[in-house]
Amino acid sequence: MEWITVLNYPVYLAIFICIYGCLAIGLNIQWGYAGLFNAGVAGFFAIGAYASAILTSPWAEGRLGGFDLPFPVGLVGAMLLAGLLAWPIGKICLRFRSDYLAIVTIGVAEGIRLVARSEEWLTNSARGISAIPRPFGDLPYAKAQLVYLGITALILLVAYVLVQRQAVSPWGRMMRAIRDNESAAQAMGKDVPYRRLEAFILGSALMGLAGALYVHLARTITPDAIDPMLITFLVWIMVILGGAGNNRGVLLGAIIVWVIWSTSEIVTDQLPSEYALKAKYGRMFLIGLLLQLVLRFRPEGILPEKLRKESREERPMGEQASATQATGNIIN
Amino acid sequence: MKTKHLGLASLLLGASALATPALADVNIGLLNGITGGAAAMAPEITKSLQFAVDQINEQGGVLQGEKLVGIMADDGCSPQVAADAATKLVNVSQVIGVVGPLCSGALMAAVNSATIPAGVILISQAATSPEITTLKDNDLVFRTIPSDEYQGQALARTLLDRGTKKVAVSFINNDYGKGIAEAFKKEYEAKGGEIAGYEAHEENKSSYRADLAGLAQGGADTLVLLDYGDTSGLTVLREAIENGFFEKFVGAEGMKTSAPVKAIGADNLTTFMASAPVSTKSEALDIFNKAFAEAGGDINASYVGPSYDAVFLLALAIEKAGGDKSKLSESLRAVSNGEGEPILPGEWKKAKELITAGKAIDYKGASGELNFDANGDVPGSYALFKVAGDDWAVETEMK
Amino acid sequence: MDMHSFINFFLLPGIVQGSIYALGAIGITLVFAIMRYGHFAHGDLATFGAFIALAFTTVLGLSPYAALPLAVLATGVFAVALDRLFYAHLRAMPKIITTIASFGVALMLRSFVQVVWGVNTTSYTRGITRPENWFGIRVKSHEIVTLLVAIALVVALHLFLTRNKWGKAMRAMSDNPELALFSGVDNGKVIALTWIIAGGLCAASGFFLGLNTELKSLMGWNILLPTFAAAILGGVGRIEGAIVGGLIVGIAEELSVLVIPGEYKVMSAFGILLLVLLFRPTGLFRGKVL
Repeated sequence: MEWITVLNYPVYLAIFICIYGCLAIGLNIQWGYAGLFNAGVAGFFAIGAYASAILTSPWAEGRLGGFDLPFPVGLVGAMLLAGLLAWPIGKICLRFRSDYLAIVTIGVAEGIRLVARSEEWLTNSARGISAIPRPFGDLPYAKAQLVYLGITALILLVAYVLVQRQAVSPWGRMMRAIRDNESAAQAMGKDVPYRRLEAFILGSALMGLAGALYVHLARTITPDAIDPMLITFLVWIMVILGGAGNNRGVLLGAIIVWVIWSTSEIVTDQLPSEYALKAKYGRMFLIGLLLQLVLRFRPEGILPEKLRKESREERPMGEQASATQATGNIIN
Repeated sequence: MKTKHLGLASLLLGASALATPALADVNIGLLNGITGGAAAMAPEITKSLQFAVDQINEQGGVLQGEKLVGIMADDGCSPQVAADAATKLVNVSQVIGVVGPLCSGALMAAVNSATIPAGVILISQAATSPEITTLKDNDLVFRTIPSDEYQGQALARTLLDRGTKKVAVSFINNDYGKGIAEAFKKEYEAKGGEIAGYEAHEENKSSYRADLAGLAQGGADTLVLLDYGDTSGLTVLREAIENGFFEKFVGAEGMKTSAPVKAIGADNLTTFMASAPVSTKSEALDIFNKAFAEAGGDINASYVGPSYDAVFLLALAIEKAGGDKSKLSESLRAVSNGEGEPILPGEWKKAKELITAGKAIDYKGASGELNFDANGDVPGSYALFKVAGDDWAVETEMK
Repeated sequence: MDMHSFINFFLLPGIVQGSIYALGAIGITLVFAIMRYGHFAHGDLATFGAFIALAFTTVLGLSPYAALPLAVLATGVFAVALDRLFYAHLRAMPKIITTIASFGVALMLRSFVQVVWGVNTTSYTRGITRPENWFGIRVKSHEIVTLLVAIALVVALHLFLTRNKWGKAMRAMSDNPELALFSGVDNGKVIALTWIIAGGLCAASGFFLGLNTELKSLMGWNILLPTFAAAILGGVGRIEGAIVGGLIVGIAEELSVLVIPGEYKVMSAFGILLLVLLFRPTGLFRGKVL
């Protein structure tokens, strides 16, 4: 056995962490910066996944496309379409408090799943789309996985750097101002609805990108892959646990939650099946409980949002914050 | 932050240590639908899989007396869960082959993202989607269960033979329901039957009376209900009977579960029949049924025969290939191509001796002859069942 | 289509389903109005209530109808405990945090049901009940019970809110919390009372959903969207609005099959929700908009 195959599982874990990292940063823009409660992450993920699948897969009878376009076109298409879908939803819902957005986005995710399941001409309905290409997918298994990890990590890094630059810019401060005190921001002449819509679309586009990255890894997509539990809820846990408003925090959250989630399954699968079943659902119970504990004992997350602290407290705390930043760099 | 890295690393190591048994074992993966849509069937399937593994080990194990170890993993009947589980089986547990998963969508994700790229053979005992037939699989994906394509066609022919010329079709809106409904419709119309109403329904609704009323308007007295008996299929069936929308009901193997009988009661189900793949009556089936019943299994449970056969065939292929992963597909075809000394369920020792002696063998399984075609599929034989007492009994064989 | 089949297969199922939504929507609207957040564990709380009733029938051997009041009471008390454990300490934070917490609670309730009762479909009773025929109108006995009990619960709630001291306090809290606190309303007691009522009605909606169909672990999650749509359509904080909203959503779902393909039936509630938010966010009865 080659040494490289030993790395296969950690590499696979890491690819998923990158994909979830994209989702978490997307949600962080919406929730962490703009205070928008998107409970339909899975829907935007699915839009991205299907968009990229249709754009890049070879031509097939009976459904839209495929257009056999290159991988980067798929990614861009996924982001555009997810952002485009977010626009009318944001238009309707962002006027209200976020509870309304939450219930509507649940409905949107459900609607997207139904369309994916029912529309033969568009998504090949329940049978889904397969034969989706992966860049360098023809390499031997272990190498192909490593290369794909490189690609997803690079994309995540670019997304992170761009979002982070925005977050520390005046734009980021303005978003926080809108989130924390809407009327004051409005009084200062900020176009609140427009800015919120901007954050909602941007975050959704990143979720679409994550969907595209997933679909090229799995090389197949069926409507069942749009699972609100696996996608929406895990991402929320990642963001809340890691620290909403802090991009490093949510990435750390993605690492912790996904590693625990994926490796704990190895343990539960070893149990006799009657216990394995209970252990599986018990695991979900614990994830729900984890959320409650974080909200109760550390609502700001592991790595709290930094700028707020700097502005609220004086110098010494500011220095501490830059120390956090330094350690944060090592993680990434 | 270093400690975090260490913690992560040790967690990973710990996980792999847990999942990797001692050396000199031969690991095979058992992808089973412990959670998700097929969870109701999983316990008996688990028994059957484990029964096959135990039997092989009792009769000398594989290769040089190594123990065959079945590593169970959950496919969740969901693409993501199955892909994740298959990746772990292939990379952490280093399995040589995989049996499962139960659901077709889960299978597509698992093979595309893990087993085919890694060159690992996979035999499913329950994924029936016609889509799997046309999969580009480098000859690495096999099934011991026939495709729904055949079952839909057989059901259409049988109904026409029995004089039912006009039906309405209601099917669950997923890969299973749609696949079998399309195959049924095509064959039924081609052979001169009339489809008076054809509609998908979404799972998890509380009332289907409006849907049923629409289907009944076509004037058919028979409803073909292609759904699962423990989810929406049960609700649809109950409401159709209660309101007298149709007189006769026909389902496929998804409906042939104990749930409708338990919930609706046998007295109300006298006009309800369901088709299911059957093992043609054979010596092999009798042997399996007797042994499995003695081991505490339920011989009428779904997919227990195909599950046993999948493990047994995989083990035979491993034996034949001498443990060489790259020769497994070729060997699998060699041990079940209809030529050579017949091997029946439970005859592991005999098979092993013949393989060692270099003789050709042909496995005849509990679920049939199992001669794989070029796509890794097997032809099916089906029967139409009716409710008798609290269980199902064969009404007629299907052609 | 003739009149009878329209009533039998579209209108009646819609009304029954609508009253199930209405029972849930009353709870949502109360929580929305008094505590000012959307409670997303409401569907799964209904599942929990339905399974508690199942436990009473299987363990104590009660008939389903006898198990109902016990389940209503138990779930009401349970809802108070949920509030104390998971929501109470979040009251000082932005309300949306509690909404997030309620998602976690939804997940916990659902997995609890799955661990204890498994994932297979079950039902309260065996066999089928054929509908009775009243001059061509076919209605089943448990559908009549569903409607009667729903009406009784709503009347009782109305009397409580208008005649009883605590009911009046709840209404005061809903209208103006600061003023209510100022005039000596005990905040903690009103909140506990709200949860008992919301939890109890929730259990009733879960029970009737299970009685008219089957019990499964995702049954409550699946009615969350229509229930919320009903509450918002009626106007947040308006009990009568929740009832009318529930009935409209229930009937609209059944009638939708006439115009859209069956597989999109579940989206009709979502369509109603979008229309309300677009054109009349205060709902039919001029509720609050948060």
